Amino acid sequence: MTNGKTLVSSIAFACLLAGSVSSIAIAAECSGTIKVLAQPRDGLTLLEEQKPEFEKLSGGASFEIDYLNENDRRAKSKADASTIGKYNVYYIDEANVALFASSGWVAPLMDYYPADYDYADFDPGRQKVATYDGKVWFAPLTGGGDLMVYRKDLLEAAGITPPKTLDEYIAAVKALNQPDQGIYGTALRGQRGSGANVWRWMPFFKGFGGNWFDGKTPVFDSEAAVKATETYLELFKYSAPGSQTGGWDEVVGAFTSGQVAMIIESTPLVGMAIDPKSSQVAGKVGYMPPPTPLTGGGYGHGLAIGTKANADETSKACAGLFIAWATSKENENRRLEANQFSELNRTSVMTSPKFAELYGPDLGQALAETGKVTAVNFWQSPQWPDLGDRWGIILEELIAGTRTDIKDGLDELNGFAKDLVARSQ
Amino acid sequence: MKQKNTLPVVFLSPAIAILAVLALVPTVYAVIISFQNRELSRPDGSFIGLANYISLFSDRRFINAIGVSLTWEAVTVGMTLIIAIGLGILLFECASPRMRSAVCFLFLIPVILPRVSAAFVWKFAFHPLYGIITYPYKAITGQPLDLLSNPLTALGTVALVDVWQWGLFFAVIVLKLLETLPPQPFEAARLDHAKTWEIYAYVAIPMLKAPLISLAFVKMIESLRAFDLIYVMTRGGPGIATETLDMYAFSQGFIESGRISYASSMAVLMMVATSLAFTFLWKRVKS
Repeated sequence: MTNGKTLVSSIAFACLLAGSVSSIAIAAECSGTIKVLAQPRDGLTLLEEQKPEFEKLSGGASFEIDYLNENDRRAKSKADASTIGKYNVYYIDEANVALFASSGWVAPLMDYYPADYDYADFDPGRQKVATYDGKVWFAPLTGGGDLMVYRKDLLEAAGITPPKTLDEYIAAVKALNQPDQGIYGTALRGQRGSGANVWRWMPFFKGFGGNWFDGKTPVFDSEAAVKATETYLELFKYSAPGSQTGGWDEVVGAFTSGQVAMIIESTPLVGMAIDPKSSQVAGKVGYMPPPTPLTGGGYGHGLAIGTKANADETSKACAGLFIAWATSKENENRRLEANQFSELNRTSVMTSPKFAELYGPDLGQALAETGKVTAVNFWQSPQWPDLGDRWGIILEELIAGTRTDIKDGLDELNGFAKDLVARSQ
Repeated sequence: MKQKNTLPVVFLSPAIAILAVLALVPTVYAVIISFQNRELSRPDGSFIGLANYISLFSDRRFINAIGVSLTWEAVTVGMTLIIAIGLGILLFECASPRMRSAVCFLFLIPVILPRVSAAFVWKFAFHPLYGIITYPYKAITGQPLDLLSNPLTALGTVALVDVWQWGLFFAVIVLKLLETLPPQPFEAARLDHAKTWEIYAYVAIPMLKAPLISLAFVKMIESLRAFDLIYVMTRGGPGIATETLDMYAFSQGFIESGRISYASSMAVLMMVATSLAFTFLWKRVKS
């Protein structure tokens, strides 16, 4: 039964120290297939070309990756981890790490992560979002904060300097919006979801001084939330068509196809926007930290060890070895060679001469600058996906116009949050 | 004699046993957990009686989902039958046998397409910036047409895809049914100077009443399972404008809250409501 879906391992421990299940790396000989549930990433596609290397390293194990887009991956991984537990490795992210960790669906990574692979080399911000309750749960595949990305040619033609404050940004978006020319001022995410519209709304909320909870009391129903929502809706008037119910894909697609003047998005956008293979505006793109007072949305996605499919220590060690190898310096350097900017997470790679050669000093500078305003905008709790997704629905209703009273929406969310806290106790 | 009586039991038992395992076990399980407060993130749960059911009736999204589901059923079943009967008659009247064969083949293609693939193809076709369907509007007016983001048009747009898949397929069935009808009643009607539309309205369609009702029931059941189409095209949005009951139940169970007991209570209510509705309609039709 387990042959098909889980790895069947015969183990030779390099250091078998009786009675000590330590965080020291366990060198394992693995066999069978490590099943991974992930969302599409260029880095993982590249990784699949290196299967023979992992087979050799692991002593015979292979791996198989099932891909689902972000929302579907979140739903499927939650359903799988809480029921049959078919996957040895889950792709998890900042928004659900608390849920997966507190539910016992994933194992503490460092107990099974070989020390040779140097976890400390990962970007400190990404390490921070991978940590919950004092333990590390995933190894990053992607992450970062936000950047304001803009079309240099359009701003120059309109005589607009890149905005540094939100007021300047809103004014520039309005001035650059020319639908009759096929150019829209900006593109925002309207699609429901804690990782979709709520993710892009939160920098406004936190930037205006909003907070989610004070202890267990919800405090988000505030002037900051109302102002953030009003601003978000105001900007939506100048957002590209299709973005009202669109997420990352629609927003990035609108920008890289040359239909959007300015956008504030997660840092991987830059890699796509400056790559001629994926962008029609490569060479015309500038980037800066988000305008003040917006905070950058700190995030990180990565691989974690599933507990159900890896019932014994041996299986967990093999899954840990796979994760360490998949996120290793060697593989990250391959991603750098392949110009996969958004797949880079290690300090040693991002400060390497090759990185500077490929992306120039400006991008490194912008990343360093935006790191200063990057923050954890969401509520760090296992209940966050519930709360965030509920706000996502209400926000989508406000964007679509089927609801107009912002305060009423926040009051509804407040009631939901109180019920959520009560149910969790 | 005794052997004759036991033979049906012998043949039926394996099928009933498989059905019992596949259908009954999950159904009973869903009913049981609908009386609990289980969530995906908590393995434990306790019985809370009818609390989930009572909560449903003060849940605005549930009330909205009932309305959307009923609208979806009425629009898709009604439009599918109208399109099917209209196209079936048109082909029967105007097309040569060779032409009919070619058109029937073309009409079967949409229903053969996997639903998710069809949904993706149409989603791109309706895209306000790149869509082939919306392009003429944009070219003429200079304004993009975003049908899937508009709460007033989103459900109708998704329904159009459903009708495209099933209306054309049913048109082929209606055509084949018309071909099986005896010619004498048609000839008699023509001798009485009946117009073409009167022949179909008062002769052909009444003669096809029984199979058309069966087609309506098939489509009603099929329309209840439109989750994949709606999920791919709108995910229930904009807002909750296209959120049907199954979408909302799935959302509560797996996407948002992981409240599987709450989601199960919705599933149980849907099962009871559809069973009652179909039994009532079936009896009305038979009588």
